[in-house]
Amino acid sequence: MLTVACDAKGNAAVEPFIAAAHQQHPSVIDQQLLVAELYDTRNVPAAFWIDESGRIVRAADPIYAQRRNRETGEVTINTEYLDAVRDWVAKGRDSAFVMDGSRLDSRLPELEFDDVAAAAYFHLGAYLARHGEAAEALDYFKRAHALRPENWTYKRQAWSFGDIERDYGTTFQEAVKDPASGPFYPPLDLTD
Amino acid sequence: MPKATLLYQDAEAQVDAARVDGDQLWLTLSSLEAATGWDLEPEGVCKSGICVPVPDARRSELIRDDLFNLTAFADLIQQPVAHDKKNSIWYFGPAGWEWKSRLTSRHAPDFTLPDLAGRSHSLSELQGKKVFLLFWASW
Repeated sequence: MLTVACDAKGNAAVEPFIAAAHQQHPSVIDQQLLVAELYDTRNVPAAFWIDESGRIVRAADPIYAQRRNRETGEVTINTEYLDAVRDWVAKGRDSAFVMDGSRLDSRLPELEFDDVAAAAYFHLGAYLARHGEAAEALDYFKRAHALRPENWTYKRQAWSFGDIERDYGTTFQEAVKDPASGPFYPPLDLTD
Repeated sequence: MPKATLLYQDAEAQVDAARVDGDQLWLTLSSLEAATGWDLEPEGVCKSGICVPVPDARRSELIRDDLFNLTAFADLIQQPVAHDKKNSIWYFGPAGWEWKSRLTSRHAPDFTLPDLAGRSHSLSELQGKKVFLLFWASW
């Protein structure tokens, strides 16, 4: 188990969550979001299963181990997904939850130049925002969003540096409905 | 020479910009290796065992006297570049051979990152075990 915080605001932003989780596993911080780029994660959470030889066998699962209902406070444990992980731990490649080649390919698409160009604009924007140039950063964040509207990491991280309505002329609810952005999360498709 | 901030993926350096033409950034050949890891050798432009030959047709675009055009080189190796003129900052992303087929090989790319205490952890340290790798964020 290895958790990666993709957070341009760094330790200060993630420390309270890590402290509350009492983790037993390595918990690392990707302040430059370079590892998020390396795995082409387009939103969080995103989970990958990697086998003993270093091969990816499931990719980019949008899963929560537990969710809290905002109104009732009720916590639901995602037992279906946890059981799938346990099944893989027990059976390895024979687990029904290991993705076949075509499903993996759909989760791990070949990158195009626009993907890395969008990443370059995003990284420049994040650098400026971290160095107190939030207004300057806007232009580069917007270029990244225009090139890769389906990348929610670029949007959500950019919004966290300013005000979504003032700076981007939208709201979270409107942005989620924008057809150009595609789905907020891909379908989980545990087994098809 | 004017100063520029060079973000070469995860490495940040203050460099002397020998010449800036619009979005084009020229460094002196003597400062190239310290700033980027690339060095001009007889085989081409080399870094950690990789040499990129300089095509004759593009030589004058890349190298003039003791100056090297880092942005033209980025174009040659399909590296994305983002430039902020006001603050004189250049970001250079991965080269084409690094980003193409990065995930389609299905081999999990290795990485090293610090934890809250600053201790480094690498994915490769877990080889031989099954790894559940989870990306999350506060935003």
